[in-house]
Amino acid sequence: MTEELHRRYIPDGQDNLYDTHKCRVLRVYKQTEMDKVFLFRFIDQEVGKNWKFKPGQFVEVSLPGIGEVPISICSSAMRIGFFQLCIRKAGRVTTKIHELKPGDIVGIRGPYGNGFPMEKFFGRNLLLVAAGLGMAPLRSVFLYAIDNRWRFGDITIINSAKYENELLFARELEAMRDIAEAENIQIIQTVTREDSPNRLKGRASEHLDKVMIDPKNSTVALCGPPRMYKSMFEKLVEMNYDPRRIFVTLERRMKCGIGKCGHCNLGNSTSWKYACIDGPVFDYYDIISTPGMLE
Amino acid sequence: MRYVKLKKEKIKEFLLALQDYGELYAPIKVSEKYFDFRKITNEQVDEVVLDYNRTLRPPRRFFFPEKEVLFTFNSKKVEMYENKEAFTSEPVVLFGVHACDIVGLRIMDSRFIDDQPDPYYRARREKGIIIGISCLPDEYCFCNVRRAEFVDSGFDLFLSEVEDGYVIRVGSVKGHKIIDATENLYVEVTKKDSDDLTAFDVKKSKMFTVSGNWDSLRYTLELNDEHPVIWMRESEKCLGCGNCTITCPTCRCYDVKDYPNLDGETGVRVRIWDSCQFREHGLVAGGHNFRPTKESRFKNRYMCKNAYCKEVTTAYCVGCGRCTYFCPAGINYKQNLIEIRGGI
Ligand SMILES: Cc1cc2nc3c(=O)[nH]c(=O)nc-3n(C[C@H](O)[C@H](O)[C@H](O)COP(=O)(O)OP(=O)(O)OC[C@H]3O[C@@H](n4cnc5c(N)ncnc54)[C@H](O)[C@@H]3O)c2cc1C
Ligand code: SF4
Ligand code: SF4
Ligand code: FES
Repeated sequence: MTEELHRRYIPDGQDNLYDTHKCRVLRVYKQTEMDKVFLFRFIDQEVGKNWKFKPGQFVEVSLPGIGEVPISICSSAMRIGFFQLCIRKAGRVTTKIHELKPGDIVGIRGPYGNGFPMEKFFGRNLLLVAAGLGMAPLRSVFLYAIDNRWRFGDITIINSAKYENELLFARELEAMRDIAEAENIQIIQTVTREDSPNRLKGRASEHLDKVMIDPKNSTVALCGPPRMYKSMFEKLVEMNYDPRRIFVTLERRMKCGIGKCGHCNLGNSTSWKYACIDGPVFDYYDIISTPGMLE
Repeated sequence: MRYVKLKKEKIKEFLLALQDYGELYAPIKVSEKYFDFRKITNEQVDEVVLDYNRTLRPPRRFFFPEKEVLFTFNSKKVEMYENKEAFTSEPVVLFGVHACDIVGLRIMDSRFIDDQPDPYYRARREKGIIIGISCLPDEYCFCNVRRAEFVDSGFDLFLSEVEDGYVIRVGSVKGHKIIDATENLYVEVTKKDSDDLTAFDVKKSKMFTVSGNWDSLRYTLELNDEHPVIWMRESEKCLGCGNCTITCPTCRCYDVKDYPNLDGETGVRVRIWDSCQFREHGLVAGGHNFRPTKESRFKNRYMCKNAYCKEVTTAYCVGCGRCTYFCPAGINYKQNLIEIRGGI
């Protein structure tokens, strides 16, 4: 369609899709031994004002000279101009990010990915289940639900990790307990590999029977390793949760975040998907019609 | 459509005239077995091969180069500056593109222009000129079952061989302008030429070793996801060299790397072609690999290439035969697909 191409109008000075916005680190705090939470603000306030995201979306954090990494936004989508990222020190780029101090600057592009379809969650109960780093994107969903409390029915959140000192946002959730009770929000925190005072023991799926919300008319959002999804699905469906309302996030290697570089591809010839644009949020039926999603 | 006829003896003049529109690239023989699109200077016009089988490197490289600087940066200021080269470079005039490769470019467009345009690719592509040429298949070709053996669009000019020359179809405004400016080279198309075109098509269709339509192959492949022998047997031969993806006209995977300069402050952000056949392609921090085995990577290519490109309404594989022709391990992609289809 060369013809068609030639006719297309290219506006002057149009944004380069791979270019970043400068953001300043305002605050850094240690979450666990491996994880730090960073609060960012857009240096260009105009950009900040118009920058909106959905829970479950991610950004590409860029350190020129080091590289770029995809990171889920973990703050509430209701706050304008600011956002938080919870970043685990996992390799080259994330180690450099961990060295950042308040006042330092990074490049940000995004938000990317489909995010959770929050509108579809309105008017229903909400079950949120996180394992490990999955609490980062899930926190964004949770805070959104709290900020829009009247739009949701009862809410339960299960936060799990291997060890007590890896449990993300554990203290924050603990501190919310009183308000949560008044607001019909149930908080369950569980640790799988050790006994910890104040915590339940075992995997999230082992505590589904303690969930107070009514499975009928509920939406479920799961964020964790695919292993967890497999065991969760069976139980949830057995407990009468509607498979149509079960959502998960998937992690893949990502370079571009916008469906170009091919690294996040998954699926088979009839269900070819890019985790960055078709996901990272997928529903139960995406999973069963796309082989290899849970690997 | 507008048609003109170029007599064989005028081809050289035609090629020389094309140089007015940008940097001319055309297929020439680069070794015993291989052809490649190379830059054509006045002296090289005679070397242009009009009936080559396939080029080593696919046309997409002119719009999506193997390696390209996206930005220069200043890491202290955390600033990136767009590399303007793609916007200021001379247009590429690509002569002698086969139909399957034109469909291949259209598939590239579907990812790099149609949704969220990649500025570098789009700039090069929009000023580029594509001049197609008709061809006859060898035993590696199967563009017919991919519905990519004939194109109605995606070119500025398309040359179809007739007995004593070429009938040129004009496919764009740029094409019209080229024809207008070189009007003295052409003659009227006759009834004999029209009959020749039909005869060429009949001859061509008889030369293919497969027939019909392979649209349903994507289902067949998926149903044979667990094929007892083929994946293991074939992937064992694979050297993981990535030739199949580098030569493919529709492979698009790339990696991005930052190269700091010695001053420790400035540098370049570069994108480089990557291949799903490389182990690192699916590797993430912590050592987990989404495609850890050669078999899983091998299968990934077959699945990706046979997926449906909805913008072009064909499979991502256009049946050009390169991945078989250039595989050092002698893995026969086309034959393997036939085997998966049950021998047909
Ligand atoms: C949608 C999404 C959301 C994510 N959200 C978070 C989050 O909220 N917090 C967090 O700590 N981590 C998150 N990650 C994982 C994070 O991106 C990786 O830990 C990070 O890319 C590792 O980069 P590195 O350079 O430190 O590691 P290295 O091992 O040195 O990686 C080198 C390069 O490989 C790629 N890469 C490696 N691992 C991953 C990976 N897991 N995912 C994607 N690309 C990878 C990156 O391009 C990286 O620059 C997320 C990943 C995805 C895909
Ligand atoms: S060209 Fe052949 S040997 Fe090389 S990666 Fe492709 S299939 Fe394997
Ligand atoms: S997969 Fe092979 S035959 Fe198909 S378009 Fe790519 S190189 Fe050509
Ligand atoms: S991250 Fe590049 S295509 Fe998805």
